[in-house]
Amino acid sequence: MSQTKAAQPIAITGLGVIGAFGRGYDALHSALVEAREGVGPLTLWDSSITELPVGQYRGDLADDLSAVPGITPRIRKRLSRSDTLALVAAAEAVAQAGLDVSVGGAYVGQSVCGTLVSEALYIEANRRAKTGDLSRLDLGGAFVHEGANTLDRLAEVFKLQGPTLSFMTACSSAANAIGLAADAIRSGRCDLMLAGGADSLSRIAFNGFCSLKVVSPDGPRPFDRDRQGMMVGEGAGMLVLESVQHAKQRGATILGYVSGYGHSCDAYHLTAPHPEGRGAVAAMGEALSMAGLKPGEIGYINAHGTATQDNDRTEARAIADVFRGCEVPVSSTKRYMGHTLAAAGGLEAAVSLWALQQKQLPANLGLRNTLEDAPLNMVRETTAAHELRHVLSNSFGFGGNNAALVFSRADA
Amino acid sequence: MGVVVTGVGVVSALGANPDAFRRALLDGTNACAMHDFERMDGSVVSAPAYLAVAPDPAGLIEPRKLRRMFRLARMSAVAARQALKHAELDPASIHPTRLGVCFGTSFGAMEPTQKFLDSWIENGETSASPLQFMNSVHGILASQIAMDINAQGVNLTTAQRDICFEAALDTGVNLIESGRADVILVGGGDELTPMLHEFASHTQQVVLGRVEGLDPWGSRRGIVPGDGAGVVVLEREDTRRKPSARISATRIGRWDHGGNLARELWQQAGKPRIDLLTDNRDGGAGSTRLNRMEERALKEFADGAPAVSHRGNFGTYPSAGAQQFIANVLMLSHHEYYQLLANGKPSGDSTGAPSVILHNAPSTSGSHAGYVLST
Repeated sequence: MSQTKAAQPIAITGLGVIGAFGRGYDALHSALVEAREGVGPLTLWDSSITELPVGQYRGDLADDLSAVPGITPRIRKRLSRSDTLALVAAAEAVAQAGLDVSVGGAYVGQSVCGTLVSEALYIEANRRAKTGDLSRLDLGGAFVHEGANTLDRLAEVFKLQGPTLSFMTACSSAANAIGLAADAIRSGRCDLMLAGGADSLSRIAFNGFCSLKVVSPDGPRPFDRDRQGMMVGEGAGMLVLESVQHAKQRGATILGYVSGYGHSCDAYHLTAPHPEGRGAVAAMGEALSMAGLKPGEIGYINAHGTATQDNDRTEARAIADVFRGCEVPVSSTKRYMGHTLAAAGGLEAAVSLWALQQKQLPANLGLRNTLEDAPLNMVRETTAAHELRHVLSNSFGFGGNNAALVFSRADA
Repeated sequence: MGVVVTGVGVVSALGANPDAFRRALLDGTNACAMHDFERMDGSVVSAPAYLAVAPDPAGLIEPRKLRRMFRLARMSAVAARQALKHAELDPASIHPTRLGVCFGTSFGAMEPTQKFLDSWIENGETSASPLQFMNSVHGILASQIAMDINAQGVNLTTAQRDICFEAALDTGVNLIESGRADVILVGGGDELTPMLHEFASHTQQVVLGRVEGLDPWGSRRGIVPGDGAGVVVLEREDTRRKPSARISATRIGRWDHGGNLARELWQQAGKPRIDLLTDNRDGGAGSTRLNRMEERALKEFADGAPAVSHRGNFGTYPSAGAQQFIANVLMLSHHEYYQLLANGKPSGDSTGAPSVILHNAPSTSGSHAGYVLST
């Protein structure tokens, strides 16, 4: 792999999370330390598919939202569950960064967006169309909750003046949003960005993954030989990114750095990854090259590891290919929170930063028997890692969309 | 490093390819027509709309590939191939990892999404259609193009309401400038499905009665919706291919918090003389909101430049900025000016062929995008 001069790292000064593990970094910390699973029943709507668990946030979102500064009744009325998850996570990140972010922008990865609202509206419209009283249904929600709504609410609440973009590349969305936000800062287009992703559970996503027969009845067992599939989850992971100069000038505490980002497309199939992990290899290689690191300098890989047959097989092959002979510890944290789709890259960025800060590697929950054809150095229990300096995080999505991020310790 | 446009492709209500699109703009064609839309209760409503004509894939894409695609995917894939042909660029001649796609769409894959919903509403959740689910994700359009042309580089989809094409353009330019790609196909597309039309009708967003066409400068009584797809090829300025236009500046910002994006664009482009202003004006309730600072700025450096929107010709939809961009590129590369229409009739003063166009598009959502194009 060719080594090039490392790109300028981008400082992370704020971090906010919400998901099946609870709300906030402390909840994530507890779940990771205690190896606590986020597997549970679906209670957001009445579903006839009752045997498959989800990674659902169990807290009171309305209450959580009360703690977010600047939420007016007008804004509250316009929020979907996904928007709320994003705002709660962003507010935690902004509070930790300790600055007015209004000069900045936001890049947010999304997939489900306000689907939970619009799909309910469509179902009700269908029902009413049969009975002839459709005219009394307020269908405006279908447009209020289109793709960019989360972004617009973030801009409204935090009074953002910089570039705001919503990236929708399915399950790699947040990772792409973080990587591109770092690029935007590096190129001088802005000094400060909110970046990450958010997605709520929805009937479309849940029924969709069930229709593909890739959802496991006992929760995900990533990289296990006998894995039966994924668990759909929900949540948000948001970061405050700044140029190092901007962060240092204001005396901010730097939590870590975004030091590399790679992105590729398999151009192979609508949902199945390339069998040899071609795009995953390219994305990881580009991220390492950008960070100016050799594979052996990565101390931990937070894998995409959805626990589907296809993903884990090809990701394992791709990791084995890029990190040949390096024995880099690998785990997937999907059993703590489920596969949070577009939010996954944001939440796993938080897990990566947790690993760098706590000098610990999170266990790959659910693992019993490792893969035979592409053996990886799996993290079976939460493990101390005092020398950990750099972490690579993978996110892969439908359409063969691959993103890899490298995070580095604040004193690396 | 600069970025240039080397090819354009479009499937529009004005025509099925760039030549037809250009001829229609030159002729002042109004593509508004009455169309039937089926409602959920089984009734049919006739309403004005600018629906894109069927794409012509001959010599561009194998029919078997197109058969597997839904209508918007077909339009987008054909427009992408047209753009490559116009650029005289064989995608196989580019290293696949240096060839990318960046696509803007607000509603995304509406047709398969609705079919997917219907599959389990009608037959139960366990009977949901996996094929329609696979096709329902927003990124499917960019993925389909990538699979068709073997583009293994960056592959992004932006959703930003009525400036989603401009958002994709800004992203694409940045990706080339930052060295993440050598060639990027930037596109925008949305589809007007019967469900979308019905929902928009209920919220009084669209005109239902017979009208001659969309009125971008109208009384905001509603819009005449349309659909279509446009794709352009962006390359580094040092390409050996003949550029159709040069992108001197692109920006994304917010107007709702006092941004002055037009001035930033003008400065980024090197303070050129602006010959023509274009925007996304469509006569809708949220169409074109400039803040006072920006109005003053435009008066200062673009005073006298006509402000136009060609949505009176090809209709409006969230990513119709792609068609306006292509119209702008064609005006620059062919040294001509397209008269605009309102209510199906020529509107505004005729002007000479522009050399520099500033596109300034405030979105209904408070976000804001623009670019400067020059010969």
